[in-house]
Amino acid sequence: MTDVQPQKPIKRILARFNRFLTPAENASELRIRRRNKTLGALTRRIGTIRLVLFVCGYLWMLALPSDRLARRVWIDENALQPNRVDVHWNWGEVHTADRYLDDLENLRDQNATSDQRAQYLLSQFQKLGLPSSTQKYHFSASSGDIQGSNAFAILSSPRVSGTEAMVISASWLSRTGDGEGQLNLRGVATVLSLAGYLNRYAHWSKDLIFIINDGYLDGMQAWLSAYYGVSQPNLHAEPLEIVSGVIWAALCVDYPGHSYSHLGIFHEGLNGRLPNQDLVTSLYYVASSNSPVIMYDHLDSRDVPDRRDELDPIPLWVPRVMRDMPDVRAYAYRAMNLLRHIGYQARGRASGVHGLFHQYRVDAITLFAYPATGPYGFHAIGRSVEGTLRAANNMLERLHASFFFYLLPVHHEFIQIGKYLPSAILISVAMIFGGLKIWSDAGWTRSSIIEQKVTSEPTWTRRRRPVIPSLLIVLATHLMGTLLFFVVKSSWFVPRYMSTAPILFITFTSLPPLITIFLPPPTVDEATTAPLSSLLKAFNLCIASTIISIISVLNFSMAASLAVFLGIPLSISSSSPNPLPRVFKYFSYALLGLGWLLFGSNEPKSAIRDWEMFGGWFAPFVCIVYAPLVFQAAIVCLQPQ
Amino acid sequence: MAKWRALFCLAACLYPSALAISTEQFDEELTIRPLPDGKVASTFRFTTLLQGATPRDPQSLGGDDVSQHYTVFPLALGQILREYAVTELHLSLNAGKWRYDRWGLPKELGVGTGAELWAWMGDTEVTSIDKRWKGLRNALAGLFCASLGSLDDLRTTSPVQTFQPEGDLPDWDSPHDVRHASLPSEHVCTENLTPFLKLLPCKSRSGIASLLNPHRLFDADWHGMGVHVLWREKEGVEVRLTFQSVSDPLRSGSRQKQDWSLHSLFGRSIERECPVAHSSRVLVALPQDQSYSITPEPPLVETEWAVFDTTKINMPLNTAMTWAQNFEFPTEFNGAPLTVKRTLRGTSQAYGQLSITVQNRLSSELPVLYLETMPWLVQFYLSTLKASIGGKPHALSNLTYIPAIPHSRPTTFQMLLTIPAKSDLEIVLDVNKAFLLYAEHPPDAQRGWDLPPAILTPLVPIANHSTGQLRIYTPTLLVDLATPDFSMPYNVIIFTCSLIAFLFGNVFNLLTRKFVIIRVGSDKTT
Repeated sequence: MTDVQPQKPIKRILARFNRFLTPAENASELRIRRRNKTLGALTRRIGTIRLVLFVCGYLWMLALPSDRLARRVWIDENALQPNRVDVHWNWGEVHTADRYLDDLENLRDQNATSDQRAQYLLSQFQKLGLPSSTQKYHFSASSGDIQGSNAFAILSSPRVSGTEAMVISASWLSRTGDGEGQLNLRGVATVLSLAGYLNRYAHWSKDLIFIINDGYLDGMQAWLSAYYGVSQPNLHAEPLEIVSGVIWAALCVDYPGHSYSHLGIFHEGLNGRLPNQDLVTSLYYVASSNSPVIMYDHLDSRDVPDRRDELDPIPLWVPRVMRDMPDVRAYAYRAMNLLRHIGYQARGRASGVHGLFHQYRVDAITLFAYPATGPYGFHAIGRSVEGTLRAANNMLERLHASFFFYLLPVHHEFIQIGKYLPSAILISVAMIFGGLKIWSDAGWTRSSIIEQKVTSEPTWTRRRRPVIPSLLIVLATHLMGTLLFFVVKSSWFVPRYMSTAPILFITFTSLPPLITIFLPPPTVDEATTAPLSSLLKAFNLCIASTIISIISVLNFSMAASLAVFLGIPLSISSSSPNPLPRVFKYFSYALLGLGWLLFGSNEPKSAIRDWEMFGGWFAPFVCIVYAPLVFQAAIVCLQPQ
Repeated sequence: MAKWRALFCLAACLYPSALAISTEQFDEELTIRPLPDGKVASTFRFTTLLQGATPRDPQSLGGDDVSQHYTVFPLALGQILREYAVTELHLSLNAGKWRYDRWGLPKELGVGTGAELWAWMGDTEVTSIDKRWKGLRNALAGLFCASLGSLDDLRTTSPVQTFQPEGDLPDWDSPHDVRHASLPSEHVCTENLTPFLKLLPCKSRSGIASLLNPHRLFDADWHGMGVHVLWREKEGVEVRLTFQSVSDPLRSGSRQKQDWSLHSLFGRSIERECPVAHSSRVLVALPQDQSYSITPEPPLVETEWAVFDTTKINMPLNTAMTWAQNFEFPTEFNGAPLTVKRTLRGTSQAYGQLSITVQNRLSSELPVLYLETMPWLVQFYLSTLKASIGGKPHALSNLTYIPAIPHSRPTTFQMLLTIPAKSDLEIVLDVNKAFLLYAEHPPDAQRGWDLPPAILTPLVPIANHSTGQLRIYTPTLLVDLATPDFSMPYNVIIFTCSLIAFLFGNVFNLLTRKFVIIRVGSDKTT
């Protein structure tokens, strides 16, 4: 430093670096000062940081359908070898399937009962020499009782100990319209003819279980409950007479139409569980050589130009020039698939019968034959099922653990966990920053005693932050949610939905203000104690953020939906001096939290049905977690400033 | 032929046996039985009798053994038997699940999936039974190219009541004891059949053994080989080599007929007789209520069996049976009078429920001994044991329970079931699934752990098996234990190392740092 001679630039930089490493002052002091400076700079800009995080998070979500984030699928488990399977299903088997179909159509025309159908299926399985049985079941749900009988057969494969199995199933009702009555006759005929055909092969390494379940999801739920010995209070299912071993994979065939043009893949399971991606990819590899493969029943308008007006997901107000751009069309198609996926996964709803298998660690998917006038039929679907089974038959061990985290914007490309998870996490981080900032701000107040001192710097003093009242409010809202859930799931609510729902909405919306009226108004000296509204808001944001980040690894779609529904609304909740805006804000939040009671009737009903029959977590989650979080924000708005 | 016989006689004269064996007798027999579900069961039996011989007394183990000279008796096996002083030995290696409900009772009882070995040995202070058991299983593993070495202490039990000796036990001073172990995951293939054939006097070159064609046998729906050594006081030491298979004539092709021939079942026909065989017979069960034809015309029919004596019949022999009508699957099967279903329920990797259903189809009450020899991987909660018939509680008696020792001894659990006529007895039992040490996980593909079959022993004679003790094996089970993802070793290493580094770094920092108070004087933010 004493050197007066002009230094070379490199030497100067070195000297500065040296000074940085061995400072003249006390190193520890310098470090503390540097740390404080950095922290100060960050906390002063916390608003900007939160804004940036929010913007990045939401933009990231919007970018998910882009093909830049996706990559082509591959098979992780080399043993599967889906490209090398030998498929022998041929026109002879198609003929057999047609004969079965004739019988099934007769049964349909005679309005055969569940038992008659099961007896017919049983006799067909017995003719093939397969050990087979039927199972009767009875569900009692608040939306009405359901009963039926399943028929199933177990092909004990040669030379195999029978400790492992694969399932090929078809439900009597198709998934079109969520099992609202369309029959899956061709799916059943496919499974029956597969049972006779696969019986002739000696190379199965696992037993094959053929199930024709009655109804849509109910029959399979009864069968699986009996197979795994799980009891359910509202289900009476007969025990299974014959059993096999551990089920590894399940393929559900859904073929409602006369012929089909595309094979759709449905993979979402109950409570947001997904099958291993290798199974989906194997099906895609095998099936795409027989017929075109799509996600769900979403035809790509680019593949069928003559039906563009009907299929195009881009709204008409978008200028024609934009709608014709290839990138925009690709984005729109992928976004449509992702939204469908989020719709199933966030609501924890099974997108087909396969969805019930995932809870038992069985990888399962539904093959949906998209109804059309042609050109594909039993020949193509039989080959697809046989090929996929042959690939799954090669499986030596459980499929790879990390291949359960994926988003499929199209069937041949997927988004890895690292490329979709941050979008929800960024929003969750923005929310927790907001909560922590409010929490730390609540501990300080501008001191009024030192006002006479003329100073440009405001003087801050500490104040108390009583957590008990706000925590009690948090607890009370969740208890209220639990109460709401018990009311909603009770057996008298669903049949009287239209009349009871508005009353419920009014009751539960007016409960918090009523209670606050009866409570003595808190006499808070803001100089010494932090106001309730800011503490409540701090807790609200922190809890919501924690929930979003935890759920993001379990069920990304639900976390993303929560980030959208809660991110901004919870962050902007604030009280105002006038009562009118306060009440207006309160009701807006109440609508956000409980609006489904007023405006949806099918959605809440099916969520309650999912909970009652299959143990779907969506209804309790909305009542016990989501609505109370929104109500906490509503109470924040209700507080006088 | 005469020349061969002369040679054998010469050999026998030149090497007079030190064991004072007067004769060795070799008999072979093939039984073919069409099954109600269209399949065909074949049982090969090759019996070598060492007349007048006795098993080695374990007391003599310290000293030199008498020298062994055999002509048709398998020397490789004889050496093992004498080295470890084994009185009775049963080894079976099977693939597939024997379907009692459709196929009825097997000719050879040991049909449990995988490998099963049990032996009766005399106790002695010279070398303990367990030490000899270890040597025995390793020697047999070498002889039959099978992983019998894995039948270690983790799987060895001593269930005396279920595994009663088939022959007699010599009346030595020391008591006899049984050792039993099974390995359900063992697969049977050609490498086991080749050493098996080498034990036969005619190998697979002539006689009935020439039908043992690995390409066809291992394509069958079910197949299993067995080695049985026993001693009968009046006769001597008997070695019985067996091979059973269940083939499916309906599987290939579109013809729906049950027709079979030796050539269609085994890909070969019997070209010439085995010259050293004392007797050599092919027995074919004749269907009772169907129209069929059998070629060649059987020279002898004994009640429901057609008997072909290969020493007397014209060669080559290609017995064939054809049916007039197409085969139709019956809707009901009158299989074994006692069937059992055993499943491991539950989805958790920590606990589950063992469910056993035993069905008695007889019109009389049936007392049955039920035996579980479960490795310690699955441990029983005996307090949760419940038995019921049609929902009503049912009593169990004579429970014997030797609990497992984690990481070593298996469970031996035996109970006496009394099943009323024509009823299903249901037993449920909660089980605990073990958490393994990381070195205990096998290095191969992770699909779960195979659990050995349970064994039912009716205490009164049922069906036609009035002779001797009957054993009925349940199918094996697969248990899914908590398993680390070994396919991601780097992730695991990185995760654990980061965690340890983090913990260590913090602790180390706290331990070595000197804490002083620093006044940040000129700082504005105090």
